[in-house]
Amino acid sequence: MKEYGKIKKLSGLLSSRQMSCEELTRMYLDAMESENETLNAYVSYTADLALETARRVDAKAAKGEALLPLEGIPMTLKDNISTKGMETTCCSKILKGYVPIYDATVWQILQKQNAVLLGKTNMDEFAMGSSSETSCFGGALNPHDISRVAGGSSGGVASAVGGNLAVYGLGSDTGGSIRQPASFCGLVGLKPTYGAVSRYGLIAYASSFDQIGPIASSVEDAALVYDAISVYDEKDSTSRGKTEPASAALQNDIRGMKIGVAKEYFEGIRGDVNDALQQVIRVYESLGAEIVRFGMPSLKYSLPVYYILACAEASSNLGRYDGIRYGFQAEHYSDPNDMVCRTRSEGFGDEVKRRILLGTYVLSAGYYDAYYKKAQNLRGEIVNAFQGAFEQCDVMLAPTVPMTAFPRNFTAKDPVETYQTDICTVPVNIAGLPAVSVPCGFDEAGLPIGMQLIGARFCEAKILNAAYQYEAATRETTFRAAETGVRL
Amino acid sequence: MVTHEEILKIAKLAKLSVSADELVQLTKDMSEIIGFADTINAVSPENSDFDNINHLSNVFRDDVVAPSFDSGEILKNAPEQEDGYFLVKKRA
Amino acid sequence: MTNYELVSGLETHIELATKTKIFCSCSTEFGGEPNTHCCPVCIGLPGTLPKLNRRVVEYAILAGLATNCEISPVSKMDRKNYVYPDLPKAYQISQYDMPLCKNGWIELSNGRKIRITRIHIEEDAGKLVHQRGNTFVDYNRGGVPLIEIVSEPDIRSIDEAREYLEKLQTIMRFIGISDCRMQEGSMRCDVNISVRPAGSEALGTRTEIKNMNSFAHMTKAMDYELNRQIDLLESGEKIVQETRRYNEETECTEGMRGKEDANDYRYFREPDLVTIRVSAEEVAALKAELPELPGARMKRYTGELGLPEADAQQLARSRRIAEFFEAAADGVKNPKAAANCIIGQMFSRLSTEAEKEAFDVAITPEQLRELVMLLDAGKIRMNLVKSTLEKMLDTGKSAKEFISESDMAGLDEDALKAACEQAIAANPNAAADYLGGKEKALKAILGGVMKATRGRADAVKAEQLLIQLIKK
Ligand SMILES: [Mg+2]
Ligand SMILES: [Zn+2]
Repeated sequence: MKEYGKIKKLSGLLSSRQMSCEELTRMYLDAMESENETLNAYVSYTADLALETARRVDAKAAKGEALLPLEGIPMTLKDNISTKGMETTCCSKILKGYVPIYDATVWQILQKQNAVLLGKTNMDEFAMGSSSETSCFGGALNPHDISRVAGGSSGGVASAVGGNLAVYGLGSDTGGSIRQPASFCGLVGLKPTYGAVSRYGLIAYASSFDQIGPIASSVEDAALVYDAISVYDEKDSTSRGKTEPASAALQNDIRGMKIGVAKEYFEGIRGDVNDALQQVIRVYESLGAEIVRFGMPSLKYSLPVYYILACAEASSNLGRYDGIRYGFQAEHYSDPNDMVCRTRSEGFGDEVKRRILLGTYVLSAGYYDAYYKKAQNLRGEIVNAFQGAFEQCDVMLAPTVPMTAFPRNFTAKDPVETYQTDICTVPVNIAGLPAVSVPCGFDEAGLPIGMQLIGARFCEAKILNAAYQYEAATRETTFRAAETGVRL
Repeated sequence: MVTHEEILKIAKLAKLSVSADELVQLTKDMSEIIGFADTINAVSPENSDFDNINHLSNVFRDDVVAPSFDSGEILKNAPEQEDGYFLVKKRA
Repeated sequence: MTNYELVSGLETHIELATKTKIFCSCSTEFGGEPNTHCCPVCIGLPGTLPKLNRRVVEYAILAGLATNCEISPVSKMDRKNYVYPDLPKAYQISQYDMPLCKNGWIELSNGRKIRITRIHIEEDAGKLVHQRGNTFVDYNRGGVPLIEIVSEPDIRSIDEAREYLEKLQTIMRFIGISDCRMQEGSMRCDVNISVRPAGSEALGTRTEIKNMNSFAHMTKAMDYELNRQIDLLESGEKIVQETRRYNEETECTEGMRGKEDANDYRYFREPDLVTIRVSAEEVAALKAELPELPGARMKRYTGELGLPEADAQQLARSRRIAEFFEAAADGVKNPKAAANCIIGQMFSRLSTEAEKEAFDVAITPEQLRELVMLLDAGKIRMNLVKSTLEKMLDTGKSAKEFISESDMAGLDEDALKAACEQAIAANPNAAADYLGGKEKALKAILGGVMKATRGRADAVKAEQLLIQLIKK
């Protein structure tokens, strides 16, 4: 069987000293120097730290010590993951210049592995968006076609990994923000089960939805990163850690595996995306899996439920940006209250303000029952619907996005039209389930199409194995446009 | 339908100031979004007993003191500070 | 003129005496340089998450049990949203519709029960200092755990309000969950007030006076507000439902403008914390930990021990005093003597209320008990008890250090007679005066007897003997 993963390959080169980590790191840093201007994937570089780490890894390899799975591998973090001593902005004017005084738990874990952080990557402001164009640094572009967006909100990670400016990266997924850009850029993006990865240090958008996960160029790489970061964290009360490692489960036969297909996921998706998914179904049938079809009527409320609840939480999470303790402060004001209002009005972009206002509205007196409470009840129904689905199947298959990467500066006729693009990704966030987006073909313009495999809670190993088997069976055709070699 | 007055009231709660120009566009956008949110009012869900997403309970800390941060660190990112305090300066 | 009745309820915030804050491991110690008891969590840095202190839940349950509350088997934390510089996350983590404790009561001395609606846990805010238009912010108090105790509007007089608050204070101190110092802000309360014609069942429009930080202020504020509302009603005006503040200088309450339109708190479940479940076993275990409460102790002191009500109240004012007294009075015939020693001599050495409650004294209850036992056995007399106790309190030494065998042996008839004869001989003028009809003159001679015998003489017997001897 062919090896598609980069991480193991690079790790082998480093530990056998065929290549030094410093050389590898410099290759990536050089590439960033020349190519990031085009892609706008990175918003800050951490070259000194990267080289310092690389030299540490080389010293270790020179002594013949075994390397940890992610040791010495160049990578990136979305700019909403707190890094002590390194600016973390959420790509918002309101956090420009903010330098955290503590590390996010995931970054602590990766530092222990001597992960080589190249820089922090672009995103939609506060992770609110699906193009990364609401970033105060401008949008990240799609390495497959720079007239297109990389997606969002973790667009910078996808752009960097897709453009081979990082081996992998960590993004965050609140309503599809890992899977959608992974799909747009022809990559593998895993949104873990809520609670599998610590949220400590992830700057919150919507606390009961947010989850950190990897974007990588292969299922194996995604699995390796997931295994490293899915650790119980006492700092996060909602943390549980993983139940079983995923990378060890990638060789499992999927004959007899029941793959559920809910028809609601396929309503209103673009024809070529649907065709690609039908082809996926045939591949799985050829691998001996059994397709189970059913309906999940409550899914049609996913979008409003998601926007109501996520914005409600966001309106509260974003109240703290008041210009007193950190970040931007308005220059002209009359009194403290005016300072806070002006700081927020000048510091937040339009989409963030819209979501804060929506969230404030649905929680305010007189509207709570009609919106927040009702949405919370519907959330319960969607959770139950998935529970029912997983009594009938092992994993579920769905498109990741109803379309492929949209053009830059695409202007929807209203905000709601933009929200519709999240229709296939938000249900798993509502239910706290794991899902992985995997490339499954290209449209006529050569843009990647993605599918997602959804699992029951903590069934990452199962969905990643199903994804891996598909990848192994189809890699040659699926990846014709994206050569994914190492930088050598 | 969302009114100008509602937007202004909500904006005040959210500590956002809205200019006259912004108000027109925001009211239009918010009406669209609220109209969209209203689609859930077509259903009456059973009262699903939804608590927290991962059904956890009783996750506690022990009451043991750990050293606090140096106040220099705490104040490091403050736009204004004085004598160990965060400061909101008087402006003309 | 109509008679008006006061209708009042109290919301009392009490800081819990935990070592650490409610959601992080920073110390709750009072004072300190500004922003030195802080960490990323309690200053609300982006990305930080709260983790609930177990002891906060336990203390709140103890508070509930001590005030006859039901303990909710399932409760949760909510966010109360409002943007203000003292609140670093722009929301206070509190409890909204599922408080930890509910439906309790406290009984007043007049037999009325003031119902407690609920007790919930929440975090304190930071401190703002306003100076010449500048606002200085210190988050040392931010995140200190609080319980909020909400009463029903069952209070009918200012005295009742005061007694209710004093009872709460005593109980919370007794169970050791807070020092409840109003001056330091570890206990403070908001008072809801309305008035209605006596006999009416309807509730009038109420006002809320915020943040009372002493008993004196509370009493004055309530008195002012009560009269203000009556005056308004008498002159046919309407009472506006509003939040008011007490101005210490003018001794008046005044409306707090701008607070009203901002109180849409948009409560919702705190997604960063999980459900709190309390089992019946856990409640039982905490109940077992609960000390006997002041009310029950007072009843025991007046009943079993036969102490006067006033003494019982003094002794039950703090757990430390009560436990000291009970250990000192354990098995003695005369518990009143132990009570007198504590309330009289021992209290008089402690000048402030706080010192009395802390009851930090040089001797152990066992040492006091030994002294009282000597009195019980008739080996020494009350006046010797007093002087000995003073020496014990000065030195921390036991009674026997100051009382000799001969002191305890008492005086036999001959020795007493000899002492009396000596005293008369030493003061012939007084004896003559007494014979001349000046009854008071006898006291001087008796004083001489007591001095000579170092208090061992039985004063009654000595007096009779002196009269006999003088008249002879
Ligand atoms: Mg409160
Ligand atoms: Zn702290």
